[in-house]
Amino acid sequence: MKRVFLVARREYFEHLRTKTFWIGIFSFPVILALSILVPSWLEGKVSVRKYAVLDHSGWLLRAVEERASVPDLAKVFLSLKEAFRRGGKALEVFPPFLRVPALGKVLEKMDEGTLEKFGEALSLVGKPEGAALLARAGLPPGAADLVKKLRGEIGKWWRSLPPEEAKKIAPGSGKSRYQRVPLEELGNPGEEGLRKLVDQEKLFAAIVIGPDPVNTSKGCKYYSKNLTDLDLKRWFEGFAGDAVREKRVRALKLSPEKVSWLMAPLRMETLKVTKGGGEEKASLSARLHQFAPVAFVYILWISVFMIAQMLLTSTIEEKSNRVIEVLLSSVSPVQLMAGKIVGPAMTGLTMILAWAAFALVGLQVLPLLVEHVPDLGLGAILSDPAYLVSFLVYFLLGYLFYASLLVGIGSVCNSLKEAQNLMQPVMLVLIVPLLSMLPVVKDPNGTLAKVLSFIPPFTPFVMMNRVAGPPAPWEYVATTVLLLVTLVFTVWAAAKVFRVGILMTGKPPKLMEILRWIRADRS
Amino acid sequence: MDSVLELEKVTKRFGEVTAVDRLSFHVPRGSVYGFLGPNGSGKTTTLRMVMSIFYPDEGRLRVLGRERAMEVKDRIGYLPEERGLYKKMKTSDLLAYFGRLKGMDARRAKTRAGELLEEFGLGEWADKPCEALSKGMGQKVQLLAVLIHEPELMILDEPFSGLDPVNMEVMRDAILRMKREGRTVLFSTHVMAQAEEICDYILLIHKGRKVLNGTLSEVKSSGPRGIRLDYDGDGRILHELPGVERINDAGKTAEIFLRDGMDPQEILAALVGKLVIRRFDLREPSLHEIFVRAVGGTEERGVA
Repeated sequence: MKRVFLVARREYFEHLRTKTFWIGIFSFPVILALSILVPSWLEGKVSVRKYAVLDHSGWLLRAVEERASVPDLAKVFLSLKEAFRRGGKALEVFPPFLRVPALGKVLEKMDEGTLEKFGEALSLVGKPEGAALLARAGLPPGAADLVKKLRGEIGKWWRSLPPEEAKKIAPGSGKSRYQRVPLEELGNPGEEGLRKLVDQEKLFAAIVIGPDPVNTSKGCKYYSKNLTDLDLKRWFEGFAGDAVREKRVRALKLSPEKVSWLMAPLRMETLKVTKGGGEEKASLSARLHQFAPVAFVYILWISVFMIAQMLLTSTIEEKSNRVIEVLLSSVSPVQLMAGKIVGPAMTGLTMILAWAAFALVGLQVLPLLVEHVPDLGLGAILSDPAYLVSFLVYFLLGYLFYASLLVGIGSVCNSLKEAQNLMQPVMLVLIVPLLSMLPVVKDPNGTLAKVLSFIPPFTPFVMMNRVAGPPAPWEYVATTVLLLVTLVFTVWAAAKVFRVGILMTGKPPKLMEILRWIRADRS
Repeated sequence: MDSVLELEKVTKRFGEVTAVDRLSFHVPRGSVYGFLGPNGSGKTTTLRMVMSIFYPDEGRLRVLGRERAMEVKDRIGYLPEERGLYKKMKTSDLLAYFGRLKGMDARRAKTRAGELLEEFGLGEWADKPCEALSKGMGQKVQLLAVLIHEPELMILDEPFSGLDPVNMEVMRDAILRMKREGRTVLFSTHVMAQAEEICDYILLIHKGRKVLNGTLSEVKSSGPRGIRLDYDGDGRILHELPGVERINDAGKTAEIFLRDGMDPQEILAALVGKLVIRRFDLREPSLHEIFVRAVGGTEERGVA
């Protein structure tokens, strides 16, 4: 056992001296940081869509803007709630009148749906439906008073806020994506003039509202050069349609309560069913949880492959250096093989632990560097034993499986070039878990996922892939037992091949010959 | 007599080929034991079996009193024919590593590595990677790597092959020193002349079988005495001499074996005036001659 450790220790320090190791260690945090920073930087670059509206009806534009502010305000309050929770610098982007602790306390009690109603109530204050809504919305105590107090100020503040600021406070809000340019600023052009401005790309789109939108869609137009990105059209149409429908309903002379009841949209709460049939809010972080396995499988695959490759190289090097036989006078072939397998495993673990440390530190440091990093619950994923523990376990099992294959291959080859030929079938097998990565993560308990988890070479990757499922306990047990049984066999076979192959020079043997060695009792 | 190594009818086959065929011999403690034979005669296979890198198919093998060399590996040093170094490792680290693999503790291995390097004139290379060493220095380090743990039994497979005269000397001194320290050295070679210089005991094998075995003098006296001739001139005349059974003519020296009843004086008389004779004596045959006679004279070319 001591000899195994000595061999492993030498391998470990030898790997530590290689460039591959350090590139491996540092490429990960660089990629991780880039993958977080680049999208948020790119997002900042996406230009705000400018548009103008020529309103012949005289009222619809105002109604649309009023309605559009409802979901926007809900988003503002959502990030305000988050800012209160985090406290400190996060609050500074908000104006002083929103930074009152009383508001924080009320927001704390509201979920996403209630926040939307809160926003809606704010925009409807003073209207008859507003009071009815306030009464029905189930807002926490104190919310109604706040609505009255904030009403005037928040609307003014939000309208005057530049889009870049709006994006920081409430990313994805209508205001941060679309900016209406008042007609006065454009010199009050007619429909013809607007079309020219669109043509000159001064405007992304121009919208014309007909004189009587309640009765007919005639004269309502959307001009743009880009007809593939119709988000703006849909966004505007949605609110305009609601406003028009409200007018039509009111024409029926119904009571305000009935109107608001009629107009109340049906909203489905999005819930994710968790283990045991419980439910949980589907948030961004929950969705991330669902897709996190892909990243883990990818890292798992890369580390298993990279480390096993190191093992292959060092075996061939030792063989071509002719150190092997001196070693064999001190350690048995099995000890040597064990040491050679354990050494890279320690290298791999070092690398993985370094990555985990980078990720944890990064999660603490990143928010200080970038102003708006949405809390994606990465910390929760990293500390979830289902992820980290299965990652470590499957790394070790997967590595052991492929290491025993590669150490066998390495022992019969005299050069990397020869090894490449024998590696081809192994590579073909290794590709499968990469190809199945997305299908499996989309349907972690589907037939494909289940079948693949029972094929030992794929088990570590596919089970890691399914972790968000999660698979049933019996599946964990059954696949692991199957994998362990296979492992015992491959390691045993590798030891047989290793002890014959390691002293062989000349042409690498044929597969049949290798199989004969495995069957032979002794050599 | 106390034996450090005993082989009884050891046989090893690789597929159809019998590499070692019922080989038996004993290596007495404290001796320098030469294991001789042409290339491909089974020397390396035998030594690998002794090191339990291979296992014999038949027969019995005892090393330092044990069935399995595995149990006593730490008391044996083994320098294989194919040897190398880890290129990237520091010379002293490499020696210490091999020492520790033989069970030395870390500190002892480290100091011993430094001492050995100093002793063999490689002190200033201790902190350099092995790839920086010249070929000759590398060969020294290879030897040091297998004797750092001061083994009782040293097994050297073709220790002299590829050495320059200086390192040849270093190797010979190392072997003799180990003998003086009471250690046993078993080494294989296909160069008979090297064995003649330093061996106490000789084992000759051919095609996996023992041909001759005994102390150097026993082996030598088993063959007929012959004339050792050192000369200058055209050696073709030697082949025309009467009454000669065999001649090993090397151009400047020759070994001449006469038929029974022939008088060496007649040969001398026949040569005077035709060659410049620098030496003419009657003595025991060379190992080369003994070997050639033992295997029937048909395999001469394999023997240097």
